[in-house]
Amino acid sequence: MDDYEVVVGLEVHMQINTKAKVFCECSTQFGAAPNMNTCVICTSQPGAIPILNKRAVEAIVKTGLALNFTINKQCMFSRKQYFYPDVPKNYQITQAEPPLCSKGKLTVIVDGKEKVINITRIHLEEDAGKLIHEVGNRKLDYSLLDLNRASVGLMELVTEPDINSPEEALGFLTELKSIVEYLDTSKCSMEEGKMRCDVNVSIRPRGQRELGTRVEIKNMNSMAGVRDAIAYEVKRQKAVVESGGDIVQETRLWQAQEGITKSMRSKESAMDYRYFPEPDLVPFDLPDAFIENVRKQIPELPKIRKARFIRDYGLSEYDADYLTSMKMIADYYEKALNILKDKSADNLSTRKLLANWISTELSARLNTAKISIMESPVTSQNLAELIFLIFNGTISGKIAKTIFEEMYEKSANPESIIKEKGLTQISDELVIIKICEEAIAESQKAVLEFKSGKERALGAIIGLVMKKSKGQANPQIVNKILLEKLKK
Amino acid sequence: MITVKDLIAKIYSGEMKSADFVKECFDRIKKIDSKVKAFLKLNEENSLKQAEKFDKNIGCPQRGMLEGVPIAIKDNIMVKGESMTSASKYLENYISPYDATVIEKLKVAGAILIGRTNMDEFAMGGSTETSFYQRTANPWNIEYIPGGSSGGSAAAVSSGMVPLALGSDTGGSIRQPASFCGIVGYKPSYGLISRYGACALASSFDQIGIFSKTVADSALLASVISGSDYRDPVCQPKDHVDYTHDLDNNYTLKTAKIGIPKQLLDYEVDQEITKCFRNSVNKLKSICADVVEIDIPAYKYVPALYKTIMCAEVSANIATFDGVRYGYRCPNGKNLSDEYAKSRAESLGYEVKKRILFGTYVLGAKNYHRCYHQAQKVRTLLINQITNAYNGCNFIFSPATLQMPVKFGDNLSEECDIFLTAANLVGLPGISVPCSFTNSGMPIGVHFMGPRFSDEKMFQVAHAFEKISNFDTHRYPQV
Repeated sequence: MDDYEVVVGLEVHMQINTKAKVFCECSTQFGAAPNMNTCVICTSQPGAIPILNKRAVEAIVKTGLALNFTINKQCMFSRKQYFYPDVPKNYQITQAEPPLCSKGKLTVIVDGKEKVINITRIHLEEDAGKLIHEVGNRKLDYSLLDLNRASVGLMELVTEPDINSPEEALGFLTELKSIVEYLDTSKCSMEEGKMRCDVNVSIRPRGQRELGTRVEIKNMNSMAGVRDAIAYEVKRQKAVVESGGDIVQETRLWQAQEGITKSMRSKESAMDYRYFPEPDLVPFDLPDAFIENVRKQIPELPKIRKARFIRDYGLSEYDADYLTSMKMIADYYEKALNILKDKSADNLSTRKLLANWISTELSARLNTAKISIMESPVTSQNLAELIFLIFNGTISGKIAKTIFEEMYEKSANPESIIKEKGLTQISDELVIIKICEEAIAESQKAVLEFKSGKERALGAIIGLVMKKSKGQANPQIVNKILLEKLKK
Repeated sequence: MITVKDLIAKIYSGEMKSADFVKECFDRIKKIDSKVKAFLKLNEENSLKQAEKFDKNIGCPQRGMLEGVPIAIKDNIMVKGESMTSASKYLENYISPYDATVIEKLKVAGAILIGRTNMDEFAMGGSTETSFYQRTANPWNIEYIPGGSSGGSAAAVSSGMVPLALGSDTGGSIRQPASFCGIVGYKPSYGLISRYGACALASSFDQIGIFSKTVADSALLASVISGSDYRDPVCQPKDHVDYTHDLDNNYTLKTAKIGIPKQLLDYEVDQEITKCFRNSVNKLKSICADVVEIDIPAYKYVPALYKTIMCAEVSANIATFDGVRYGYRCPNGKNLSDEYAKSRAESLGYEVKKRILFGTYVLGAKNYHRCYHQAQKVRTLLINQITNAYNGCNFIFSPATLQMPVKFGDNLSEECDIFLTAANLVGLPGISVPCSFTNSGMPIGVHFMGPRFSDEKMFQVAHAFEKISNFDTHRYPQV
């Protein structure tokens, strides 16, 4: 395993999150009926001319600045020519030299170790349409063309071959996705095809300077798929080399179901794309003021926010990591925290409690329903109310769970559910004493065990009290009273 | 036929009816177009209806600048709902889904679009012979070519079938046929008129332009169709200009230094053209500030560098005609690449294929630096030399073409249009103005070229020259 060094470079395409396409005014909305989001420009009718959406440039500059890139002020485009039906002009408008962003880097943490991955470039280009070869299970003997995606803006990011393991690749993509989502410059969903990743994999004997022959792998539709494809490919290449064979430079497709890569085409006849400067789009210089303005829009990035959550809120590494993994979760958390602050209930225990509720109860429900925290039926306001009610002793943690279920189902606030169901915590000692007495009478066995020194037996009696009180009895008081009664 | 300026005055005063004039145009078309073959399609019924409607609304305060004026449109400009063939078999059944910006403006101005004119296929050619549909004749002698690529528009205006026409000019495609047909041909500065909706040939050089009998009429139409357009990013002219406003002001010419390229001597120029040109220079000398010799050695590179860059852009622009979304599709392609190959092989003409092949070659990885990139460097050289020349003169004056039109099937020399093509390579405005006739009765033209966006002054100079040239704008060919 350790005789070879793994060398991986990534090419990541991310759909730019703008309302309109990059070279026309059509919507970028996902899931529209085929060819609904098209016009004379993105279907390449005669006489149509591309118009640059400056928002797309802004998104790339923003991403570049966040990843420590040098921004090239000169903005110019090229035509990359190849015939394929999903590219209506039969050339793609892209950037050759210079790209908008050169030489960036991203630090990833794999197995507790920090590693800097250098990124060669980010450039702007247009997406292709989609060819459809089957309807349901029926294979067509012709192809259908959907140009909704044609000319949607893409940022293409190319790394240096700095990645040395499948886990580092996954770490890079996870971190990249997290940052880009924070910037809101792309939705980054590999499942929806809004983020695509091709990898170049090669191996070389440890200590060898020159790189081995690289193989390109495409067709991964999840980040885990990227990791698995690299792992498989490394294994395959080692087997080829060890059996005395040579690695062929080629493109292979990842077959997710079988967990293998399959040869698609060899690169012997390299494509000549006949690039030349795009005459329809006049090169222009990005004004310094524009770049500075974009810089100001960059929000606090995940790593910094995480450190702040640990430092300022006293959260654990684990909780802070979870909360800041996505901007919308961290935003949700801080919104709820502000409400607790307004109620003067902002302290270490409520901060931790809130973090816990988000990372366990809420995230479990959201994951099951496959919706994002933005669409959560339990708003940050309502969750804060719930935490407040636990904090001031109105309800127990156990009842809170029942209330939470109702809040989720009905998108309701906790107060109304408590009222409706009469779920307020019972703290009246007289009432609790009565229930405790009943419970002791019904748990003779446990009482005997407890008295003979088995303190754990107390749990069974508490359980019975809670059951009888429908969970409403204040657990601290129950505990106190039971101990008093049993030690008599 | 009267000038557009007079026509508008007469229509507005009620002295003449637009419908009568439009009818006259169609009468003349019916009489002679079977011989000239300038038009590919005519819009007679609609045009007359439109004209009658305008006549009824006479006196209505909100009138367009070209209300009731008929105009012909080259068949590579998009008019919504009309066919647009670019004279290619590939687009035989294509219907434009939108209006070009110039068409929008013409419609707002009230112009009547009477028909579509013949051209070289995708504007590739200088004779209108590469049209898939028909061969347009020079109205002054129907055995000769009208020039091209906008030969249909030139022939239509020259023979009095219509007073105005739109064309497109990538390397002389308006000014050369205008000169061959004895009318005014105007190519604006690159970026003065929106290209949106003009079927692209070479995007760096393409401009929509104008054919008319007089400079004043070109200036009038330019005032209507120029102006910035967000749909064409290279189109960024200044505020809307009325080019007719100060046209009669002779001051521009009186103070102008006219530059004559020394390089004219390097070429074999037709004798009658030389004679006429000398004559014109002498006339200019009498009214302008000075006539000076200028030196632009890079003129000699014009044919090669034009061909290289133009073909490179053609190879990419024409790639979209693949038979997939619209246009001709071969019915029996065996697979994708076979279908591509056959669809294009069966629907594109020889000249188009030749240019695609040449353009593909010059952009190939092995040739890019040697050919395309080198041509761009030479283009910069030409731009610098011409810019320098304008330090010593205000306008560059030359014969429009170095050769007279040839008979069908004969070739023009590669250098014939170099003084016109230079304007496209540098993005400058150019206007060809007729100045006299040969002994055999064929018209000869001269060419003014100004600095970029000097279109207004160029019109003034051309207009002043037109007045002293003694060219009879009322003379029409007997077809």
